[in-house]
Amino acid sequence: MNFALSEDHELLRDSARGFLDKEIDLAPLLVPGATVKDARYEANWLKMAELGWAGLVIPEEFGGSGMTLIDLTMVVNEVGRTLAPSPMLGVLGGTWALLKGGSDEQKAGVLSRVAAGELKLALAVADSNGNADGPGSDAKASVGSKGHVINGSKSFVIDAAAAGMLVVTAETNGAREWFLVDAEQNGVQVETLAWRDVTRQVCTVHFRDAAAERLEADNATIWPWVRDRILLVLAAESAAGLQQTLTSSVDYAKERVAFGKPIGAFQSIKHVLAGMFGASECANTAVLFAAWALTENDPKASISTAIAKAYCTEAYVTATNQNIQIFGAIGFTWEMKNHLYFKRARANAEMFGSPARQRERVIDILRQKAA
Amino acid sequence: MDFNLPPENDPRRLEIRAFFEANPRPTGRQLAERGYTVPHWPRPWGLGADPELQLIIDEEFDRAGLQAPARLNPVALNNCAQSLLSHGTDAQRERLLPPALAMEEKWCMLFSEPSAGSDLGALRLTARREDDHYVVRGQKIWTSLAHKAQIGVLVARTNTNVPKHAGLSQFLIDMSSPGINVRPIIDMSGNENEYNEVFFDDVKVPADRLLGKEGDGWALTLAQLQTERVALSKAGAIWGTGPSARDLVSELIASGGIDDPLIRDEVAKLYIEGEILRLLAYRTLSDRMNAKPAGPEAAVRKMVAAPHGQRIVDLAKRVQGMSGLITGNGAFEPTNGGRHMFDDWDYAFWFNPAVTLGVGTQEVLKNIISERVLGLPREADPTAKTPWAELQKSKLKTAV
Repeated sequence: MNFALSEDHELLRDSARGFLDKEIDLAPLLVPGATVKDARYEANWLKMAELGWAGLVIPEEFGGSGMTLIDLTMVVNEVGRTLAPSPMLGVLGGTWALLKGGSDEQKAGVLSRVAAGELKLALAVADSNGNADGPGSDAKASVGSKGHVINGSKSFVIDAAAAGMLVVTAETNGAREWFLVDAEQNGVQVETLAWRDVTRQVCTVHFRDAAAERLEADNATIWPWVRDRILLVLAAESAAGLQQTLTSSVDYAKERVAFGKPIGAFQSIKHVLAGMFGASECANTAVLFAAWALTENDPKASISTAIAKAYCTEAYVTATNQNIQIFGAIGFTWEMKNHLYFKRARANAEMFGSPARQRERVIDILRQKAA
Repeated sequence: MDFNLPPENDPRRLEIRAFFEANPRPTGRQLAERGYTVPHWPRPWGLGADPELQLIIDEEFDRAGLQAPARLNPVALNNCAQSLLSHGTDAQRERLLPPALAMEEKWCMLFSEPSAGSDLGALRLTARREDDHYVVRGQKIWTSLAHKAQIGVLVARTNTNVPKHAGLSQFLIDMSSPGINVRPIIDMSGNENEYNEVFFDDVKVPADRLLGKEGDGWALTLAQLQTERVALSKAGAIWGTGPSARDLVSELIASGGIDDPLIRDEVAKLYIEGEILRLLAYRTLSDRMNAKPAGPEAAVRKMVAAPHGQRIVDLAKRVQGMSGLITGNGAFEPTNGGRHMFDDWDYAFWFNPAVTLGVGTQEVLKNIISERVLGLPREADPTAKTPWAELQKSKLKTAV
């Protein structure tokens, strides 16, 4: 038993922190009407890829560095702390789906290009009702003269407009199957949504007789494995964003003076911040355990990601609201960063299953164990 | 990073298990001789155990169906007696530790007073030196176990010419001393009393029962409270000693209560928080194994754990509806086979308000965290720097 980070983990975290503190500038987003593209969304990714982040979770045989999910968490924490705009989440989702479900040929052909930073992926699994767990009938696959084709749409696809290839779920004879789709073909149209969280790119993808290559593995093999990893990423982003929210709240409470003293001297403020600190401690611990459990393939891996996603994203939502209350009206303006965190928190809570949905999963798992 | 707990076949575990198989009903003395009542203390008292071995021993007590020693004599084994190792005399250690560790003498903490709870440094009970003894006069309140204890750890004011915190000293007193009068407090649960008032009417305490030096009292007290908070921050009702969220989920699954979606969501939240609190407790152990000094995490954990425990038994009570209002009618069978009053779901509910008061009120804990962890401005105490005797004359008296 040892909960401390290793020196390697600390090194990875510190180098990610140093890089992002230098490179990430959210100022362009503090102008109404700006989108994620104005905050060097693509350029940031090129630099991240130079550092090897595009291939962090890709095994060495496919050109990546084959790092563990604990390693990845070190990087994702820093990305979440800085809200670094980039297509990282889309690439990770597509990569994991292909790793779990693709043939060796598919992996070799696609993942080496992803690891090299030449190709970006996105994961298209949700329907217009937001459900990412399936069955998912907005898109349907059928067998055409030259293989599979997909018709219909996928919703809330993160980083789709940036992606060269999509991993798509579509219904075939009532079953949910997985496909690799070239995003550049005529049958694929990407519509970028006016997404409230302007630090992220979120799209709807329309398919009209789009050529698709089926992945080998079935949905039951791919989805739980991929979902748990995405939930970990969202939880890690959220826990780190929460910690940053705490830091900015505390700094402001020390600085802002009212009635002759810093507002942080008032218990009404202090006690909110103490509570936020408690939530932050809990969130960080939940994330580290989930990262460890997934890395070790521990029996608690799946429940621990549901726990982390539910707790961290909900605590993040609460904290970002408290943060604006502590700043007062200035924190409510577009020119401050507070709303970027508020919106990221709100979006992370909904993505890939709300906290309430994760709690249902927790109880489902416990009921199965009890039965 | 490694979250694996010590495995089932850990040789340290097997050795303890073998002892319990050979001695299914060990006496306190037997346990103390093997170092099992204070494993984390150095030899000869304990085993110099690292936190992992301590965790193993805790688990094996539980598996053997035995109450943890620290629960039977908490003030001595967990909170206070350790101070004798650093601040006690040889004579004090020889006289007081063996019976305490064997759980033959129970201890209590004589800290709070009617007008000094959260602001403990404002306590008024005095100990006046006369020849080879001190004369103690005043009153304590909210003393757990005072009616069962042989030894009391007393914080008293020995010097009124210095500011309030500087004038305090600790004594290890015999609870049978003439002039001590213990009165039970029947709390709102209506159960057998947990707490007492203790009156001191010119009680003579031998001078050799002073712990450390005069004026050491405040530092000793803070350290003991910190240790108590670590112990009482586990995931469950009544400071982690009562039913847990795991217990509640199991009961609701078994009874079908989980089918109600509102209850399901609420208990899932509690389960999640409970699991995280367990991890935080292990993290504290892990930090100690890595020789990381114990920080204010005790206050953080208690701040999260206390209301968590309250919500567990509150939900259980609401699930019962009207029948939960019948005295003694718990939502479920007591946990742990009902070995302790705190295992009872009904008692745990009516005890609930105390959990965010005892061992540091929620408000005081939040002050500690915001000031000592987050570095926010300290609460001003207008009485902190003035000599105690002057305060008693001045207008500030109303503040103490």
